Amino acid sequence: MTVETTRREMLKLSGYGASAAILSPLLSQLSAHATGASAAQLPKRVVFMVQSNGMNPSHLMPAGMERPKNGKPSNEKLEETSLQDRTLHKAIEALSPFQDRLALLQGLSGKIALSDHSANHGALGCFPANKGPMAQTIDSALSEALPGVFPHVAIGMPANTETLMNYAISASGPGKALPIVCSPALAFNSLFGSVAEGAGRTAFDQKTNLLEFMADDVKRTRNGLAAEEKQKFDQYAEAFESLHARQQELLKKSDSLKQHAPKLGEKFSSTKSSVILEAQFEIAGAALIAGLTNVVTLTSGGGGQQFGKFPEFNIPDLHGIGHGANNGRASSEDCFVELRQFHVKLIAGLAQKLASVKEGDGTMLDNSLIVYLSDSGESHHPNLLEWPVILIGNLGGRLKTSGRYLQFPCYGSPAHKTMANLYCTLLHAAGKPRDKFGVADPGLKDSDQTGPIVELLA
Amino acid sequence: MRDQLQADTMPPPEEKRPDAKLARAVTDWITTATRQQVARLPNDGNLVSHDLLFGKPAEGGSAGPARVWRLSPDGYLGFVREVHRGRADGLVQPFTLIPERGIRDFSGLYSIDESSTEILLRNAEIIVAGQTAHSFKDGKLQGKNDTVGEFVKLMDPELAPTPAQLESAVQLQFRLAIGRKASADEVTRFVALYEKCAVSGERTAAIKIMLQAVLLRADAMYREELGSGPANEGRRLLAQQELARSLGLAIMDRRDSVLTQAAEKGELSTKEQIAAQVRRLLSDPKLGQSALLRFFREYFEYHRAADVFKDKPKAFVHEPKTLVSDTDRLVKHILSEDRDVFRQLLTTRLSFVNYSTKENKATRMHEPVPAVTLNPHNNTGQEGLEYLYGVGEFPRQQPTELPPDARIGILMQPSWLVAFSTNFDNDPVRRGRWIRERLLGGTVPDLPIGVVAQVPDAPEQTFRHRLQVTRDAKCWKCHQQMDELGLPFENFDHYGRFRTTEEVLDAAATEQNVDNKGKSLGLVHKEVALVTTGVVERSGDPALDGAVSDPREMIMRIANSERARQVFVRHAFRYFLGRNESLADAATLQAADRAYTERDGSFRELVVSLLTSDSFLFRKVQLAAQE
Repeated sequence: MTVETTRREMLKLSGYGASAAILSPLLSQLSAHATGASAAQLPKRVVFMVQSNGMNPSHLMPAGMERPKNGKPSNEKLEETSLQDRTLHKAIEALSPFQDRLALLQGLSGKIALSDHSANHGALGCFPANKGPMAQTIDSALSEALPGVFPHVAIGMPANTETLMNYAISASGPGKALPIVCSPALAFNSLFGSVAEGAGRTAFDQKTNLLEFMADDVKRTRNGLAAEEKQKFDQYAEAFESLHARQQELLKKSDSLKQHAPKLGEKFSSTKSSVILEAQFEIAGAALIAGLTNVVTLTSGGGGQQFGKFPEFNIPDLHGIGHGANNGRASSEDCFVELRQFHVKLIAGLAQKLASVKEGDGTMLDNSLIVYLSDSGESHHPNLLEWPVILIGNLGGRLKTSGRYLQFPCYGSPAHKTMANLYCTLLHAAGKPRDKFGVADPGLKDSDQTGPIVELLA
Repeated sequence: MRDQLQADTMPPPEEKRPDAKLARAVTDWITTATRQQVARLPNDGNLVSHDLLFGKPAEGGSAGPARVWRLSPDGYLGFVREVHRGRADGLVQPFTLIPERGIRDFSGLYSIDESSTEILLRNAEIIVAGQTAHSFKDGKLQGKNDTVGEFVKLMDPELAPTPAQLESAVQLQFRLAIGRKASADEVTRFVALYEKCAVSGERTAAIKIMLQAVLLRADAMYREELGSGPANEGRRLLAQQELARSLGLAIMDRRDSVLTQAAEKGELSTKEQIAAQVRRLLSDPKLGQSALLRFFREYFEYHRAADVFKDKPKAFVHEPKTLVSDTDRLVKHILSEDRDVFRQLLTTRLSFVNYSTKENKATRMHEPVPAVTLNPHNNTGQEGLEYLYGVGEFPRQQPTELPPDARIGILMQPSWLVAFSTNFDNDPVRRGRWIRERLLGGTVPDLPIGVVAQVPDAPEQTFRHRLQVTRDAKCWKCHQQMDELGLPFENFDHYGRFRTTEEVLDAAATEQNVDNKGKSLGLVHKEVALVTTGVVERSGDPALDGAVSDPREMIMRIANSERARQVFVRHAFRYFLGRNESLADAATLQAADRAYTERDGSFRELVVSLLTSDSFLFRKVQLAAQE
């Protein structure tokens, strides 16, 4: 018996073949679409959008509300304001059509991940920023709770166009950084490669050949080993088999994938940040609608000193605006607002797309949640005593996000809540509850950093 | 049952207790009856009775089970260096070790799951892209730095590779990745993969796929120790290639070309030949350091100091990374002397202090400089890192001798003390557990399920006083194995500062400390007398048992004991053999202990003995059976 139970053992127990296990999420999803199943049976989806360079808490304040003059909220109790009849800040006004599905969260802290410019994996992991991927991040944890053909799709915009992967945000476990694929072409080929044409299709086929070959090659190597040792190679062979089965499945589904595959045209190979992001949002939406995945991480820059740049908006240097550069506007804040508006429009577009697809008695958006935050908390140089987060959707009624502005108790007060509490909440809502996430903040001796935030759970 | 008897937690207190000799006889009988059963998990190794391993001279050769052992994370880095020397940006570590205490890279624990496989696939793609990187200059194909010429030749999309070129590419990649020739059958299969992929017309991409496949092979990701020499008395010697790879990985996390050549000539056939190779590697200062240092890190666990999060104190610098690197240097220093290593590690008064080096441009020599310096302009009285060690100024000569009667050895290095502390306090329980397990060879059951272990929050009491909760009978049956061994370290605070008094809250004075309106003016603390005593009990060596007045007395006593030294040898065995010891390994352990003592406490000779032992070199025949 090895520590890690092999999939083969699991399958023996469950009595299904390998492909059935892999395909079951997709099949159940498709049948759910077809039968108009009840909300509880419908697949749940979570999308993270992580943007570099901090998120100013003011951008979350609806008209008529103001931050304390010293910039430091000092409430010791949760303060709630309804968003009904309020006007959203102009930075996020594109979310107005979804105002009754929003929760704007203020005052959650994440100080354990404190660092300059980016909390790196700590943003989604709640652990120190500069120790690499210390543990699993929340997006990966949710992908285990909400499995799909692709358990987790992580795509984004690179800080510079030569970078194909960003390894600084997401992790599947200690030491296991997950790549955020920063090229729309690569992302498209891996998700929709079976219906691609030309070189994309060739690469897909060659990968299929390689996986098939490796499964066979590993099996040959294991011959002659004693039982327990053989099991180690079995698991390796099964990994190739399972990845190969996924390729086969994508081929089988090519008709439906063709229908949903985004038509990227020139966006496919653009080097403009804004166009790359648009393409990735289209790919993410298509992957969700085609039922390829239930968990997506989208990033715009992020990690270390990697902010990204938007010369097409005359904001060539995102570090610069963090230090007051105004690029011809009245202030650097105008640059921040413009960038936020661009990102929020993309998010609203994705929400709109999900809302346009019927699912059960409602739409896909009814069963989804979009989590929007920055890897650098509340600012370019954050203190992470507060970490603004925007939630859109209620994950099939499991979260209370019906147009709420929530100012959580301030850092240091006994009822204070952290990002770890928020992530526990998401895991509770996704059906795989956890009451501890990441590393506790030693500065918060008097606050309970465990368990979900009950005020958010439906 | 054996564990309970061994830990003295069975039978329950109200029942009549067997005398110690009888209890020992029963536990030894159970161990002997199950002698083939090796405990699988790290930290379970001590379940095999020390007396049965070292009590009487053991004879006869042993052989481990035939096995495959997944590369360690460092072994994978070594593999990457073997196949591609150039930069390979974007490579990600696919392998991790279980988050256990102590020595963790056991061969029985790891296989490769799907997410690791996906990383391996991406890494293989990146490595082959590096191996074949090229450009066309004036229509001519040119390789870049660190590319493999043989592979670059095949990157011309206009030219179809000849069968001979393909075979030679497969052979070369096998050599780089696995360190052996491919068989004729293997060549045929890999070339067939190329042909299948090349049908599309994308020939160069097909070649890359073929090269990636070799990097992904199971025997590249695992070291094989099957034993394919001639069978003799139910066991076989490891094959020459297996030996070359295993020895290289054991000492330097990768293959060594001299070892590979020796294996090709059949020159790893006798223990003398192997010992000579191991001594060569261990005496080369450039090699072997990292794997050996890793053993000491995993044995002592001082490197975990950086994982304990503390508030940054205002009065002095707390920089755990530097504390760890100071201790690393101390270990390396003791290893370079290679005399009386175990005792030195526990008792040396030498230490590195806030140490780093910088090249002097004039002399081109590396000179010691402080690793952490304070800004002379805006420092408002904060003490530097030297202060933690009890040293006034940065010592120019290092290692330096620390003040007398304060700290000795690794266990009183600030790094170890911080590693065994919590966010706000010392952790005498874990410190005691470490000594019980790593020095005395004892066992402590894990915390029972459902027990919430918490020291009461009583700031007006000393930590020793607060820990009295464990004296409750149901706690004490396990805590008696730990607390009294850890409490002498109360001589230091949780940042590792030496102290002779302990600061507690002065409740009465705090109550008085109010302004004329009765509003509190803050907490008042006072210093109270510190108790640093402890007791060594049930150590297994009567000469060790007894009260101690402070941590130094305790560690000096243990450092001089035969038992503690043998327990250290047992841990080295686990590290280098990647498994726990069984009774069948008694002769190997005794020989290693002898080699160490006869050569003046040379750690190198201990390693030579382990790596030339029957346990390392031989595999049981019956377990290497067919499918």
